[in-house]
Amino acid sequence: MTGFFRHSMQPEVNHDERARQEFVASFRGHLSGNVMPGTYAVYASRLEPAFRAQHGRTPADQDEVREVMTHDSYYQFWSAMQRRSQEMMWESVIDPTERQLPQLIQRAKALSRKSLPSGGKGTLRLNPKLSIPNYHTAADIHLQPGGYHSDFTADDVAAGVVYDKGINIYMGGALGPENNLMGDSLLAYVRERHAGFQPRRILDIGCAIGNSTLVWGRAFPKAKLHGIDVGAPVLRYAHARAQAMGVAAHFSQQNAESTDFDSASFDLIVSHITLHETSRSALVRILRECHRLLKPGGLSLHLEIPRGRTAIEKFMHNWESYNNNETFARFMTDIDLKAEALKAGFLSDQTRVVEFTPGMDVSQMNYAENFSWKILAATR
Amino acid sequence: MRDPPRRSKGHQPYFFDDPAIDQLHAAVLALTSELGVAFDRIDTLERLLERDEKFVRANIDKFVADPPAAEQRAARRADLIGRVLRPFVQYREDLLERARHTRQESKP
Repeated sequence: MTGFFRHSMQPEVNHDERARQEFVASFRGHLSGNVMPGTYAVYASRLEPAFRAQHGRTPADQDEVREVMTHDSYYQFWSAMQRRSQEMMWESVIDPTERQLPQLIQRAKALSRKSLPSGGKGTLRLNPKLSIPNYHTAADIHLQPGGYHSDFTADDVAAGVVYDKGINIYMGGALGPENNLMGDSLLAYVRERHAGFQPRRILDIGCAIGNSTLVWGRAFPKAKLHGIDVGAPVLRYAHARAQAMGVAAHFSQQNAESTDFDSASFDLIVSHITLHETSRSALVRILRECHRLLKPGGLSLHLEIPRGRTAIEKFMHNWESYNNNETFARFMTDIDLKAEALKAGFLSDQTRVVEFTPGMDVSQMNYAENFSWKILAATR
Repeated sequence: MRDPPRRSKGHQPYFFDDPAIDQLHAAVLALTSELGVAFDRIDTLERLLERDEKFVRANIDKFVADPPAAEQRAARRADLIGRVLRPFVQYREDLLERARHTRQESKP
């Protein structure tokens, strides 16, 4: 059920490790399919009417929903199970990774030296002096122990190895065997709305393990492809993984708020559910940097998850913000992305926020009934 | 080399009024997972024995379930999860049923 593309940068799993991974994937599927929807039912039939009886109106926003919901024992039960399943998911991937880490590090080094069948070769540029922003250091995003930025041994790749298999389980395989769903969704948008667009230089910001980055390399094989992230271990893994999968990509350790690329040097800048992991002040700085890096006529596309329409949907979406260390996500709910892009220098008639449904199964990411992506599209 | 952490940095929420209840849920979930692992291992042993070969322990880790076997194992896992979660589902049904009654009684 969790079809996963295995390459030499993924560890072997023994019998029981595989069984634990399959259990946690099944359990999370059961929670999202059978248990979580019950919280909506309990709210609609008990909590909302009780609030209305007391106040003469329905809860006005997600904070008022939170006031009533957090005291409900069914919600408490679902939350406890959801939180613990997230921790178990990481444990199930950390076990085999730790057991084989020295071999994985050696394989990453060997892959780095390899020339690709296409004749090209990817590169990796790390900056040990880079200051890691506090939206990474204050809390480990998605509860992944150590986050995306922590090295625990020389040339560590563990955070990347763990992230790749972890998000495969997280989504019950719905991201596809190469965890491509986000990249494919944004590419589908480009094909539909910008047919014939042929970028020559592409940048993926907050690329982590490069799972979305490679989508762009395959779609535009002649383009020079860059990916940046602040985390060294995820980038070492991204580089080795891209080499193993035969796509020439250039990864560098940089903060998207301020990069060392030349102004007007990219035709296309993309990000995939990255912005909501940053901060209010970082958001506008990142958009300003995108504006600086784009060539005139260049396009920037930021894929995001809509965080609900009604108060209850917003509350449920932001469960992740309070309980899965997506600290900034709850503030993103009410931020007007277009207004932020205008602050960053983009022009109003060149900027839009679009809801886009590529027709793919995203049931496990979904806390509401209908899912579509939200895309901030801005042309310089 | 430092030992990598096994728990995440950041806010550690408790959902129930008494954190001990959260811990109990975590323990039940861990036990259910280990029972699922044991079921899979028993299934693997049975399938290896059925092959009518000399049993070799190392073959347990080499065993890969073919699609029909994987489907049977997934069904058994779903059944296990369903059984463990049944009290909570029944509790939800009770809550919703009570809410229906309340609504009917309050109708003029």
